[in-house]
Amino acid sequence: MSDKLKEVINKQQQQQNAPEQGNTDDVIQLVGFIIGDEEYAVPILTIQEIIKPIGWTRVPQTPDYVLGVFNLRGSVIPLIDLRRKFGLPPKKQDDETRFIVMKHGDDVAGFVIDRLTMALRLSKKDIGPAPDTVDGDNTSIEGVGKRENNILTILKVGKLLERDF
Amino acid sequence: MDEFQEILQDFLVESFELVEKLDEDLVELESRPDDLDLLNGIFRVAHTIKGASSFLNFDVLTHLTHHMEDVLNKARHGELSITPEVMDVILESVDLMKALLEQIRDTSNDEGIDVSDVVKRLDRISGGNGDVETPSSSSAQNETPSSEPSQESQTNAEQTQEEPQEEPQEEEEDEIDYENLSPEEIEAEIERLLAKRQEEDRKKREAKKKKQQNNSGDAKQEQTPKEEQKAPTPAPQTQAPKQEPKNEEPKAQAAAAPARKAPAAVEQTIRVDVKRLDHLMNLIGELVLAKNRLIKINSDVEERYEGEEFLEELTQVVSIVSIVTTDLQIAVMKTRMLPVGKVFNKFPRMIRDLSRELNKKIELVIEGEDTELDKSIVEEIGDPLVHIIRNSCDHGIEPPEERIAAGKPETGTVELKAYNEGNHIVIQINDDGRGLDPDKLKQKALEKGIVTEKEVDNMSDKEAYALIFKPGFSTAAQVTNVSGRGVGMDVVKTNIEKLNGIIEIDSELGKGTSIKLKIPLTLAIIQALLVGVQEENYAIPLASVLETVRISTEEIYTVENKSVMRLRDEVLSLVHIGDIFEVERIMDNSEHAYVVVLGLGASKLGLIVDSLIGQEEIVIKSLGEYLKGIQGIAGATIRGDGGVTLIVDVVALMDIAKDVKSSVASAESTATKSNEKNAPSDYRIMIVDDSKTDRTIMKKALEPLGITIVEAGDGQEALGKLKDSDEMFDAMLIDIEMPRMDGYTLANEIKKYNRYKNLPLIAVTSRTSKADRMRGVESGMVEYITKPYSADYLSSVVQRNIKFKPEFQS
Repeated sequence: MSDKLKEVINKQQQQQNAPEQGNTDDVIQLVGFIIGDEEYAVPILTIQEIIKPIGWTRVPQTPDYVLGVFNLRGSVIPLIDLRRKFGLPPKKQDDETRFIVMKHGDDVAGFVIDRLTMALRLSKKDIGPAPDTVDGDNTSIEGVGKRENNILTILKVGKLLERDF
Repeated sequence: MDEFQEILQDFLVESFELVEKLDEDLVELESRPDDLDLLNGIFRVAHTIKGASSFLNFDVLTHLTHHMEDVLNKARHGELSITPEVMDVILESVDLMKALLEQIRDTSNDEGIDVSDVVKRLDRISGGNGDVETPSSSSAQNETPSSEPSQESQTNAEQTQEEPQEEPQEEEEDEIDYENLSPEEIEAEIERLLAKRQEEDRKKREAKKKKQQNNSGDAKQEQTPKEEQKAPTPAPQTQAPKQEPKNEEPKAQAAAAPARKAPAAVEQTIRVDVKRLDHLMNLIGELVLAKNRLIKINSDVEERYEGEEFLEELTQVVSIVSIVTTDLQIAVMKTRMLPVGKVFNKFPRMIRDLSRELNKKIELVIEGEDTELDKSIVEEIGDPLVHIIRNSCDHGIEPPEERIAAGKPETGTVELKAYNEGNHIVIQINDDGRGLDPDKLKQKALEKGIVTEKEVDNMSDKEAYALIFKPGFSTAAQVTNVSGRGVGMDVVKTNIEKLNGIIEIDSELGKGTSIKLKIPLTLAIIQALLVGVQEENYAIPLASVLETVRISTEEIYTVENKSVMRLRDEVLSLVHIGDIFEVERIMDNSEHAYVVVLGLGASKLGLIVDSLIGQEEIVIKSLGEYLKGIQGIAGATIRGDGGVTLIVDVVALMDIAKDVKSSVASAESTATKSNEKNAPSDYRIMIVDDSKTDRTIMKKALEPLGITIVEAGDGQEALGKLKDSDEMFDAMLIDIEMPRMDGYTLANEIKKYNRYKNLPLIAVTSRTSKADRMRGVESGMVEYITKPYSADYLSSVVQRNIKFKPEFQS
C-alpha cells in the first residue's frame, strides 16, 4: 500500500517537476476522460468538481442528450449525456461512470462520461488545432492534444455549455 | 475618486427619493395652492438638489434647479399664484430634473440635455426678464439661500413637533435680508445663528429628557460641516425633520431616515444593499430545504424506532428548528418588503397629466398604500398598473359632458386599493366609467379573429371581459397615445402572471370596471401541491389550484379529440400531465384518476395526474441559463429527499393544453410511428422459454425471415427485457411452463401496461387442453401453438401476427 502511495506521489512530483524545466506558461493542465472509444480532455480549471452518479430528474421538451437536472448541494444543475450528445448509443451507467461538473462564466452543467483517465499536463506545442473537417466556429473541439502513444480531443467547455436547442 | 463616487451615490439615491416625493407633493399642491407647508417642502427639494449638484459640479442641473427654486420661492412668498399653467412648467422641469439625474446615474455627468427652454419659461413665470444666468453662478449666491431654508426647516420641524414658542424666532430670522449681506456678514450671521441654536439646544436639553438630547446632538453635527464647507451639501440633512413628520408613509422613513436626522430617534433604520438581502433570502431558502429534509428523516426515524426515548427529544428539536426556520423566513421576507405606496405615489401625477391631456375630470383615490410587498414584486407591478390606470382613464372614464348626461358626477373617480388576502396581496383598480359591454367585446374579438363564433356563443360575460387581455385586442375605436397600441393589456396579463399572480376583471355597463390583481407576497418560497405521474413528481403552485377531485375513468368523455368531464354543472376540459410533459405512460392506472382543477382568472383546466402526494412549502430555484424557457416549467425545487422536482408553470401549461389531443389519440400516433418497418430486421420478437433447446428450435424456424430475435429464459427476465428495451417488440412467443413466472402471469403482467396493449402474445406450449387454451385467451394471448409444431407453421403464425411485409420474404 505504502509503496503504491509512494509511487503515486513520485509520479505526481515528476509531473509537477517536469514542466518547471520548460516555461510554465506553455503548459496546460487537463483532465482526460473516455467517452465511447475516444479520449477527451478539458482544462482542469473549467472543472468545478467530479462526482459519482446520483439521481436526476428528467426535464421535458429537451433533446435526448439532456438527461435532466440534479441537485448539487442545493443548486439545480443540468445534466448532459456526452455519449448521446456525440451521437453514440446510450449505455447503462456503471461503476466508472462519473459526472463532471464544468463551469464557464456563470454557466454550470454536469456531463456524464464513461470513465476518467487522468489529470495531465500538455505543453502548448503539443496541441494542434481542430481538424479542418469540423466546421469553423461551430465546433466544440478546442484542439487535438498529441501524446507519445495516442491523441486526445480537447473540448471547448464554453461551447459544451451553450444551449443548442 | 472613490470618495467622490460614494458621495455621488448618496446624492443620487437621495435625489431620486426627493424627486419621487416631489411629484406627489406638486399634484397635491395644485389642489391646495395655499398650503404653505407643502410649498416650503417642495421649495426645499429643489433647493437641496441645487445645492448638492453645485457642490458636485453638475452645472446643468444646478442651473435648472436654481430657476425652479426662484419660481417656488416667489410662490412661497405669495408673489406668485400656482395656476395649472405654472404647474405644467414646474412639472416639466421636474421631469427634466429626473432625466438629468438618470443621466448622471448612467454617465456621471449631466451634459447633453437641453434645459434652456424650460429655464426660460421658468424665468418668465418668476417675472424675470429672461436674462438667463450662466450655470456657474456665483457660489456666494448659493450659500445665502442655503442657510436660510435649513435654518427655517429646522425651526419648522421643531415647530410642527412640539415647540410652538419658537415661532416668533423664526419670523425674526426670516426678516433678515440676506440678499444684501456681504459674505463676511453672512459668515457672522451664520455664526450668530449657530450660537443661538446651540444655546437653544442646551436649554432644551436641560428642560427635556433623552429625546431632545438626541435632537440637539444631531443638530450640532449637521451644522458643523456646513460651517466648514460653506457649501450647501448638508442641506439634505436639515431637510429631513421637516419632511418626515409630514410624510406618513413608513417607506420614506425607512428609506430616507438613515441619511438624515430622525426627528425623535424612534425609528432606527439602516440602508442595506439589496444584494445582501437576496443572499440572505437564498440562505433561508437552503435552510427551508434542509428543514423539509429533517422533517422527512424524523418521520422515517419515528417509524423505525417507535416508542424509544430519544425519539421524543429528536421530535422536539425538529419541531423547534422547524418553527424557528419558519419565523426566520418570515422575518427575512419582511426585510425585503416595501409598501406598495412606493409604486402608487407616481399615479397622482399621472392622473393629473392624463386628465389634462384627455380633457376629462378624474380624481384618484388611493387606499392601503402601506400594504407591503416583496421588493422584487413592487418593482414589477409598476408598469402593469400604469397600463391599467391609463386604460381606465382613456377608455373607462367618460368626458364630462357624457358623464353629466348619464347622471353621474362630472368628475370621474379611479380607485386604487391594496389589501392583504391570505398569502396574497390584492391590488384593485376601480373606475366609475362606462364599463365594458360584453357583446361589443365579443363582436370585436370576432372581427379581429381572436375567437371563433362557437367560442363566443359559449362565453360568459366574465370570459368576455377577459378578452381585453388577448393579444391584439383594443377597445378604443381609435388608438390614442394614452393607452398605447392595443398591446398593453396583453402585456399586463403576462407580467402579472410572471409573478405567479392572477388577474380578474369585472364590469357593469354604465357603472364602471374593476380589475383585481392577486399577487403572491413573495416570489421565492411558495406553497405547492405535489403530484405524481408514473415515477415522476411535479409541483403545482397552490395558488392556482382550485380543488382536486377523484373520478372514475368512465366520467371522462371525448369531445372533438379532447377529453372533458362534468364538474358539477360545468364542463371541464381535461389534459393528462403525462401528455404535456412527455411522460412515458407504462402503467395505466386502474379505473380511477385524480383531477387537479387549475384556475387562472376566468379559465379553468383539469389536469389528470396519477397520484396526489401532498402540500409542501417549496423554494423556487431557476433551472439556469442552459435550460431556461422550457415551456410549462417554471423552475425546480429540491425536496426533502434531496431529489429535484420540477415546478409547473400553470399559465404556460394552459396554453400547451390547448394543443394537446386526447391521450388516446396521441398514444395511437406514436404506435404507428414505431411500427414503420424498412427492413426485416426492424421486426423484433422475443422468445420466452426456459428450455434452451426450445428457444433454439424457434430461432431456427424464424431465422430465415431475417427478423431480430431476443431471448428470455423466464417470465421475469422477459418482463425486465421488455421494460428496459427502448424499442417496441412486434410479438412475443411465450412458453407457459416456466420457473419464477409462468406464461399466463407474464401475459397478465404485460397487458397491464398500456403501451403493450396491442402487442401480440403467442403461446407456444405442450399444454393442449381446452382449459389451458381458455386461460391463454383470458390472459391476453392471441395465438396458441402446441408443441410439436412445424417450422413453417410457426413462421407463418409469426408473420401473420407481426404483419410481416411480403416484399421482405426471400
